[in-house]
Amino acid sequence: MRVDPNYVTNLVSSLNQAQANEQQLESELSSGVSITSLSQNPTGSGENVLLLNQIQQDDSFTQSASLVSGQLQVADSALGSVVSQLTQAISLATSANNGTMNASDVKSVGNQISGILNEVTSLANSSYQGQYIFAGGHTSTAPFSTSTATSPAVTSYNGDQNVNYLESPNGQKIQLNVSGSDIFLGSGSNSVFGALNSLIADYSSGTVNTAQAVQDTQALNTALNYVSQNRVTIDNSMTQITASSEAVTNVQTQLTTAQTNLLQTDYTTASTQLSLSKTQQTALISLISQLNNASQDLFSKL
Amino acid sequence: MGTINSAFSIIQQALDANQQALNVVANNVANANTPGYTRETPDWQENQPLNQNGNLIGQGASETGATSQRDRVLMTRLDQQQQLVSSSGSRLTSLNTLQALFTVDSGSTSSKAGDIGSDITSFFNSFSKLEATATDNSLRQGVLSAAGTLAGDISNAAASLNEQRSALDQETTGVAGQVNSLTSDISKLNVQIQSTSPSGDAGTLEDQRQLDITNLSKLIGINQITTENNGLAITTTSGQLLVSNGTSYTMSTGQVGGVTDFFVGNTDITSQLTTGGGSLGGYLTARDQDIPNALNSLDQLAYSISTTVNQQNNAGTDLKGNTGTAASPLNIFSQPTTVAGSAASMSVVMTDPNQIAAAGLGNGTGDNSNAVMMAELGSKEIVNGQTPTNYYSNFVTTLGSTVSDVQTDNTAQTASLTQLQTQSDTLSGVNLNDEASSLSTLERSYQAASKVFSILNTVMASILNLGEQTTVS
Repeated sequence: MRVDPNYVTNLVSSLNQAQANEQQLESELSSGVSITSLSQNPTGSGENVLLLNQIQQDDSFTQSASLVSGQLQVADSALGSVVSQLTQAISLATSANNGTMNASDVKSVGNQISGILNEVTSLANSSYQGQYIFAGGHTSTAPFSTSTATSPAVTSYNGDQNVNYLESPNGQKIQLNVSGSDIFLGSGSNSVFGALNSLIADYSSGTVNTAQAVQDTQALNTALNYVSQNRVTIDNSMTQITASSEAVTNVQTQLTTAQTNLLQTDYTTASTQLSLSKTQQTALISLISQLNNASQDLFSKL
Repeated sequence: MGTINSAFSIIQQALDANQQALNVVANNVANANTPGYTRETPDWQENQPLNQNGNLIGQGASETGATSQRDRVLMTRLDQQQQLVSSSGSRLTSLNTLQALFTVDSGSTSSKAGDIGSDITSFFNSFSKLEATATDNSLRQGVLSAAGTLAGDISNAAASLNEQRSALDQETTGVAGQVNSLTSDISKLNVQIQSTSPSGDAGTLEDQRQLDITNLSKLIGINQITTENNGLAITTTSGQLLVSNGTSYTMSTGQVGGVTDFFVGNTDITSQLTTGGGSLGGYLTARDQDIPNALNSLDQLAYSISTTVNQQNNAGTDLKGNTGTAASPLNIFSQPTTVAGSAASMSVVMTDPNQIAAAGLGNGTGDNSNAVMMAELGSKEIVNGQTPTNYYSNFVTTLGSTVSDVQTDNTAQTASLTQLQTQSDTLSGVNLNDEASSLSTLERSYQAASKVFSILNTVMASILNLGEQTTVS
């Protein structure tokens, strides 16, 4: 039976392979990442892309949500102030309508309501970071202005009906604003400015046309309710933002765990394999040096 | 006397034969590490016996030469396996370089750099962020910078792929020269072998020819066909003739479509060589198949993203109230004309963040509906029926699987090659222990023959003296 005289060469190539394995394992342990190239885990690499995409989307939404919350809070507090102003206006109007006031008191009510109109106008022209929040899409110019050319005066709206939405990673659309024309100039008896301007006109002369004034006060009441309803929309959005953010953060945490498990080195396995590899190398090296020993050769015995 | 003289001549022949056999052993030992050397064994031949009155009297033995111990079938198998190993080996080297361009993003912020998957996500996220406040300048800048990162990484990857392709091309050009020198050497050896030993093994000449064939197998895929009078014909695996006995056909190179193609005469054999094996086969597969596939995928991605995002931006109103038109479009990316090459040329042409059309068509500038649409493009099937992220994910998996498959093939083929090499070396390799024992045996034979000679000498002296006291000793 003949033997291969070059078997030591094969051992050397095994030794090279063992050393290459050792380097691979050492780099895995030091970096903490188990997949350093696509071919090590092709499906894992593909999955990793998808997981990272999802995680980064969730992260981005959480950031946007906190930006948007500020804007919604400003809108909410502006509308809250509007409600309290209008409540005051209604109580003033009611007292003027009961016929117990004299002309100068009535005129004074008219002036106070006029002051309330200015206050409400400036609230309706609220801005957040330089953009008018009740202007629909035309956020660069103040939406409301009053013209006293006629009597009653007319407050007009320069914005549009545009409503913006923020889309969450799972496709949910959260409303970010309500258009000023909707809130303050709602059709018919919902119009805040319409009612205020009418009341101012009603009380300007000092003489009250009771029927008209009562109708206008009623209109203001209806308009106030309408403002409160719109405020609810804003509040709902704020709740949705909070709930979405929480849900998204939970999902993100789970996905991050999944992604970490996918990529992270299994330290136990890697360490065991490394120690086995080192043992194998030591064995091979000593085997090779033994076999290369000159006294194994028959020639040296002749 | 006649018998004594014939005994002398028998012993003389024995001494010569042993010396010649020792020469063969010495030659083996001297060539123990020569590449391609096949060990030789001395051929002993019994001399024709003499017929004297019906008695057959032996005439000793002579050494008639040396026989190389080779197994031709085994060597052909070995060459074929070498072709496979060289092919998968060189393809694997190229693929490893290729896949290193698409590193696995581990998710930490530092490793995000250069990962196209993350860039795609960040780009579409920048539109989602813009939804919060469509007029915000820093958010708009964010869109342009995310676009820049995406375009930069895709175009860099495409540029690297093109560079790799040129490098492989240069690699392959050098091979033609090596192949030609080997084939012409083989043809010359064929002539020598056919003239010196047309009916038997040609010893050293065959060793040289076999070495040339082995080296040729490392370069390209070949078939060997033995012809009459110990001649040899070599063709490519697809049958293109390269060597026919004493004639060799040169392989030439030429530029076709921007890369080097290989010709024998006027026939373009490049596609034959690609599938044929050898390191050239591996390089050509990487150059003409793997790299173009990767480039094509990147091109698809770049083209789809650039065109759909541009289209959407031109369907809205920017911060100055303008809408893009055919004459003066509001393009974020440079608009590609063809799919091919769109990855290498992907770049951001928009410099003014106010030109991002976040608002819907005809709406006020505070509207964000077009920004919502552009963000949604990230989850729409805009790249060959897949979303951009899914497309990239599949690309990465496919590439990884290809490399992994080639790696597995190469490992298995190398193991098989090692086995065949071991078998071949067992038969044909010089085993110093065997040579030492042969040496010892032949030495003893020589000693025995020379002992017989000195005895015969003594006998001869006695005969000459014919019983007298010794005048001859």
